Amino acid sequence: MLRWSKLSTIIRREYLSRVRTKAFWITTLAFPLIILAFTVLPTMLMQRAGGEHTIALLTADEALAKAMEAGLPTAGKTNEADDSGFTIRLVHLTPEGDAAAQRARLKRDVVAKRYGGVLVIPETIYTDGKLELLTTNTSAFQLMSRLERAVGRGVTRLRLERAGVPSDKVAELTKSVDLQPVRIGKDGAENAEGFLQSFFLSYALMFLLWMSVMIYGMQVMRGVLEEKSSRIVEVVVANVSARELMTGKIMGVGAVGLTQYAIWTLVLVNLAVPGLVTLAGYTGAVISPWLLVFFVVFFVLGYVLYSTFYAAVGAAFNSEEEAQQMQSVAGWIIGIPFVFMFPVMNNPDSTLSVVLSLFPPFAPVLFFLRMSVQFPPTWQIVLCLVLLLGTIAVVARVAAAVYRVGILMYGKRPTLREVLHWARES
Amino acid sequence: MEPHLELRDVSKSYGRVFAVRELSLTVPRGSVFGLLGPNGAGKTTSIRMTMRITMPDTGEILLGGVPIDDRLRERIGYLPEERGLYRKMKVLEQLEFLGELRGLDRKEARKRGGAWLERLGLADVGARKVEELSKGMQQKVQFAGTVIHDPEIVILDEPFTGLDPIATRLLKDLIDEMRQRGSTVLFSTHVLPQAEELCDHLCLINRGRTILQGSLAEVRARFAKPALRVSSPASDAELAAIPGIAAVRHHNDDRLAELAAGAVPAEVIRVLVGRLPVEGIEPYQASLEDIFLRAVEDDHVAVV
Repeated sequence: MLRWSKLSTIIRREYLSRVRTKAFWITTLAFPLIILAFTVLPTMLMQRAGGEHTIALLTADEALAKAMEAGLPTAGKTNEADDSGFTIRLVHLTPEGDAAAQRARLKRDVVAKRYGGVLVIPETIYTDGKLELLTTNTSAFQLMSRLERAVGRGVTRLRLERAGVPSDKVAELTKSVDLQPVRIGKDGAENAEGFLQSFFLSYALMFLLWMSVMIYGMQVMRGVLEEKSSRIVEVVVANVSARELMTGKIMGVGAVGLTQYAIWTLVLVNLAVPGLVTLAGYTGAVISPWLLVFFVVFFVLGYVLYSTFYAAVGAAFNSEEEAQQMQSVAGWIIGIPFVFMFPVMNNPDSTLSVVLSLFPPFAPVLFFLRMSVQFPPTWQIVLCLVLLLGTIAVVARVAAAVYRVGILMYGKRPTLREVLHWARES
Repeated sequence: MEPHLELRDVSKSYGRVFAVRELSLTVPRGSVFGLLGPNGAGKTTSIRMTMRITMPDTGEILLGGVPIDDRLRERIGYLPEERGLYRKMKVLEQLEFLGELRGLDRKEARKRGGAWLERLGLADVGARKVEELSKGMQQKVQFAGTVIHDPEIVILDEPFTGLDPIATRLLKDLIDEMRQRGSTVLFSTHVLPQAEELCDHLCLINRGRTILQGSLAEVRARFAKPALRVSSPASDAELAAIPGIAAVRHHNDDRLAELAAGAVPAEVIRVLVGRLPVEGIEPYQASLEDIFLRAVEDDHVAVV
């Protein structure tokens, strides 16, 4: 039987003792920046990898050079369907008599970064379609695909012209296509959104969920260890039951986590911090209220599941060093969903995705990830919640038993067998 | 005297090892009760069961004649052997928290906490964190936290271990004050002179069982054989030959002549002085330590 009067005293202490610290406010402010650094930045950098590139174009074919200039995103004019900010400046060079000497010179220029690369287009391009790019970086795939497209288009145009198509028709015939992904919600609503936005959103939310479950779970463990090592715990459990203390602690620390979320949401909504505007720009438009609700639901469930485990770990050991091993077990388990992140995102309805995401230890992170990509059927949501709640009930029972015995055990580090024995005894 | 706290046939085992075995003890209301015994005798287990931190396997524990429950438990002020405070918490908030845990409302807890700090000369550290306090100050705060809810009975487990002389003095004063106010104090110790100085009732337990209990005077009367401390050049055999002297034994530097049952000390002294050369003679009062060491030894002999 849990008594609310006792619980509230414990919760209040746990909550205030954390929210009042500087560390809480620092992490509250720093966390969005960390998330930004881990998620938005790479996607942004990948997208904006463009910048300005100067490419030397070595060809005797004047017509092709001209056609290419027209098809490339240049300064002041970005290409159709290309909002990436790429600008490519072409420097047209004509082949000299001593081809080998010229090639050697251009190679030096590339190494010296005078050119981002040298496109070598031989006369034979119209027949075998082969050309070379001399570059120091062969993995700049976005740059290369743009160049390839530009050359391809130029070549096609000229081929058409040679075949006798009037030049005013050529532009019309070679007009490019643009694939626009439209996500359809459950209710049939259409959502235009780019792959990157959707990927980023899912990834960011999953990461946030994972991190906060870990961080707050570990805070519970630290709190238990602190009570043990400062020897206050026996004074406390002489007045409240061990279960009340454990529950109150988990609730108090969890409330700190929810407070942190509330602060972030407020900040995002109000765009109070200029640095977060970009983040809000990505997410604001596409987070559905349901997704937010389930985010909180899965945080609470995931947190309760893992923090009860962490509470038992804290109670069983005397110091964080001793607890390290068991602590990392939980870290591994909850980290596994990251391995399956891509398969699940690519195919959220496959058997693998469904089974993995229903597995209770993974569910908080993985099921939510699925949800953010594609809303699963209701029966799966219900099943997932039932399984998760059932697992929590079992883990909490065992953890409470270990906790009850463990908090009063000092001295020697117990073996796993002893700990299991405590659980069985009570 | 009316019993305040009673343990009746309480047993507790861990696996196959009995920590406490059919232990019974009665703490009279208003007494200062010493729970004594060597390390591992079952003192802490008995106290933890009283505080419902662990539950007895069998037997019952009564407070004021009623089986103890979580509500009644709040009438007890408990200072465990392993004790401490939240290090990062401010002193006054800590007292407030401890008071609230024992059922005081927050305002009242705060008021009493402030009053205690004032009393202990710590009024100006209320807003400081516990970890900033000296060890002695922390001990004072700990005492205040134990009695902040004005308990009718205080249970102290090995309260004197780790205390400096000043804190020891303070604790003794507090125990004294409790006694005068009519509260009951139960404390456990394995340091017998301390028990002798403070308690009026006591119970000796060994290997989980009660060996003897009663008021200090009763225990003395029952278990300490009357004896005379004799200093004399005469041999032990010569002394033992005196009528009324049952045996002669040596204790520390003293030679003790134990009196036979029914012997009148004044008569024995008269005969002794008349027959043998005697430099000094006086009635000897056995210390608790004597009594207990013998009781514990007998206990082992009885079982082995």
